[in-house]
Amino acid sequence: MSRSASTTFVLEATDIEKTFGATNVLQKARLRVARGEIHALLGGNGAGKSTLIRIVSGSLHRDAGAIQVSGQSNYDAGAIAVVFQELALLPDLTVAENICLPHRRDAFGRVDARHMRAQAARALAVIDPALIALLALPASRLDLHQRQLVEIARALSSGAQLILLDEPTANLTFADSERLFTALRRLTQQGISILLVSHRMSEIRTVADVCTILRDGKSVVDRRPLAEISDEEIVRAMMGEGREKATAPAGAAAPATSGGVTLGLAKDRLALTLAPGSVLGLAGAPEGPAGVIAALIGSASHPAWSITVNGEPRRFRSPADAIRSGVGYVSGDRAEKGVLATLPIVDNLAAAGRVARKRWLVSSGEVQDALGALKRLAIKANSLYALPQTLSGGTQQKLLIARWLDLAPKILVLEEPTRGVDIGTKREIYNIIGVVAAAGSIVVWWSTEFSELAQTCDHVIAFDLHGAISGLLKQDEITEVAMTRATGMAA
Amino acid sequence: MMEALTVRGPEKNMAASEETSAAIPRSGSASRLLATYRSEIALAVAILLIMGVVSFWSPQVFSYGNIANVAQSAAPLVIMALGVLLVIITSGIDLSVGSTFSLSGMVAGLAMSAGAAWPLACVAGLAVGIAVGAINGLLVTLLGLAPFVVTLITYAVGASLAFVITDGHSIALLDPTFYLLNGGQLIPGVTNYVMFCLLGTIAIELGLRKLVMGRWVYAVGSNDKASRLLGIPVNGIRAGVYVIAGLLAAFSSMLSLSYISNSEATSGANMMLQAIAACVIGGASLFGGTGSAVGAALGAIMITVIQNGVNLIGINSFWQGSVTGLVILVAVLIDRLAKVRA
Ligand SMILES: Nc1ncnc2c1ncn2[C@@H]1O[C@H](COP(=O)(O)OP(=O)(O)OP(=O)(O)O)[C@@H](O)[C@H]1O
Ligand SMILES: [Mg+2]
Repeated sequence: MSRSASTTFVLEATDIEKTFGATNVLQKARLRVARGEIHALLGGNGAGKSTLIRIVSGSLHRDAGAIQVSGQSNYDAGAIAVVFQELALLPDLTVAENICLPHRRDAFGRVDARHMRAQAARALAVIDPALIALLALPASRLDLHQRQLVEIARALSSGAQLILLDEPTANLTFADSERLFTALRRLTQQGISILLVSHRMSEIRTVADVCTILRDGKSVVDRRPLAEISDEEIVRAMMGEGREKATAPAGAAAPATSGGVTLGLAKDRLALTLAPGSVLGLAGAPEGPAGVIAALIGSASHPAWSITVNGEPRRFRSPADAIRSGVGYVSGDRAEKGVLATLPIVDNLAAAGRVARKRWLVSSGEVQDALGALKRLAIKANSLYALPQTLSGGTQQKLLIARWLDLAPKILVLEEPTRGVDIGTKREIYNIIGVVAAAGSIVVWWSTEFSELAQTCDHVIAFDLHGAISGLLKQDEITEVAMTRATGMAA
Repeated sequence: MMEALTVRGPEKNMAASEETSAAIPRSGSASRLLATYRSEIALAVAILLIMGVVSFWSPQVFSYGNIANVAQSAAPLVIMALGVLLVIITSGIDLSVGSTFSLSGMVAGLAMSAGAAWPLACVAGLAVGIAVGAINGLLVTLLGLAPFVVTLITYAVGASLAFVITDGHSIALLDPTFYLLNGGQLIPGVTNYVMFCLLGTIAIELGLRKLVMGRWVYAVGSNDKASRLLGIPVNGIRAGVYVIAGLLAAFSSMLSLSYISNSEATSGANMMLQAIAACVIGGASLFGGTGSAVGAALGAIMITVIQNGVNLIGINSFWQGSVTGLVILVAVLIDRLAKVRA
């Protein structure tokens, strides 16, 4: 590793400081990225990764510190391409138009549509030629995973020497992530540098060369080759001394208990009855799991699945009906399906309870409940009255889970709930799943991380790439290999 | 890989959150009220500043008579703005309040000329407002049409109906006790128009803050999809705010008729734009999800104060719109600046 001459660094950010109100988000943070490397930026939720990326890319002002790009402190922001954690496609423009922003116009102010489509098609093909089918769709019609791929394609094809990717794989399937990594390695051979944020240790190991670790806004590990640092060390650096040794107090995040419930699910030739305390995993491309989830949360007008609760046929007519019958729902697509962005944190937390309990008045107990929920999930927030956007991405995700803790859901439906949460919190979420199940409730969850499902589920329904049921796995049959095979997701 | 990592327990962060939770002021505390109403307080100060500037030319701006006059002419606008505010918070817009104002006035006027007592005539006027609001609400929710388009249609139809039913003539209101609606004192010592403004503003403000339905109004404007998934009756809320906006527009018309005692078909045309402007000055975003009743009421008062100032200084009243426009620009820019720095 050449750590000597600073001129070899494409990006050199030193002593970066940033405060929001009273919180020191970055304190003398340091980040150096060399030419042609894939650099992992690691840290727990709220460590300051996204803030640092926003500062380097020029979308946020720093309070102090110096940034040099290729040795120049007066750099052109166009030399850096970014995919931010919260996606930002223009919903009414087509995929092609989004990728080619800013549009080049000829002397008459016209945009060459054919050229634009060709350019966008090339960009998408770098990741997956199958994506070219999306070119003419408006961005608002894409699902989260497609939006993520389009943004990545746009960054990769920008010609920038430095590409910053803030949790690009949080919204991708395993196969897509693999394709992304192949593309990234190809780019590094052309001397392009990549900065990658991820909470998935295994993929960091496979793709990145070097890492920098932030904790509470400080660079606690500054440029260490991943080959020289163990997982233990990384986790300790991220979480701080002591935390990794501490054990959770029993049921630290335990929601109130509910009575046992039996859930039956049937579609086509599959009929499955889940005993109280079961954890059902859904594996596969989004279309398949989406059908089960829509039926359970009452969002489908013509549900494809028939449901029985405690042996009785049951159809949830609306989300309110489902919630009042004890169904909780957390989506990883937090911006679209979860967070009420202009409402303070306390309203975000109380939202589900108000519907479930048919309340008319905002009760003062909600503030106490909210404080309790924040504490149980160790959510760092300055104030209950701050807006959710002042929380880091992973912390917002925790907020959506916290919403249900006091309601003792009988059926907890999770749609990629661990998107963007750090390793410690993932553990905490698995913990919650365990506790909810132990109370006799049923957990149904879709995850693209098969290792998560393998750890927690006693049943898994696998779907193929077209959303058709391709298998039912039980107990010991639930392995990553079996799920990968059943879903046709082999990379 | 995951198994190998021994991460357990939120101990450390729990300690951190305990520290921060201490910093959270208890709800209702004075400092939080101050923080919540920061921009409204700034708005009130700005209104006083404008009056201060006007007083250089015309000291009587601070006289009791002038203030009462301003309050009286602000009252209908305040009432209308409160309804429009609810619609704006849900990320909708209501253009039809302008013609509802005219149409309900004409209907009430006709009822009075036909010999109905004024309370009965007012009920007829208010019914018009509810009807127009219900039509807006149905078209927006059931047909999924854009609020701008729907209310543009009902605005146009309502405005023409106001002419049709009276053949374009204005109606002199005959019931001699009608002035009591505006000028009477239901609560001794407080003239009705002041009482209606205060009561309306407080009711809407409290409703938005303390009723679950009020929080839903914000939720719907903040994130439609998430609101639906949270079981919030999105369509009911959307339809409801148009009905309230129609009702308040009609009531605003009754109040204004009660002291002008002359109903004209064109009277509401300008009010709608001013009501929307009042909401924006008061901090509501046309993208939805934000805004307060106190802000909208102060916005309406500010617009009226500007008009009054322009009159007092003796500037040609044709300039009123320009000055109001300038003030909206300044208000929005200050709001933007405050957000960037936060
Ligand atoms: N606009 C803001 N106002 C106040 N605080 C903020 C704001 N934006 C971020 N923060 C705070 O800054 C800290 C760092 O946030 P940041 O988004 O950089 O974390 P992160 O490392 O990207 O976390 P994650 O892994 O969850 O995405 C958090 O504690 C967050 O609450
Ligand atoms: Mg982040």
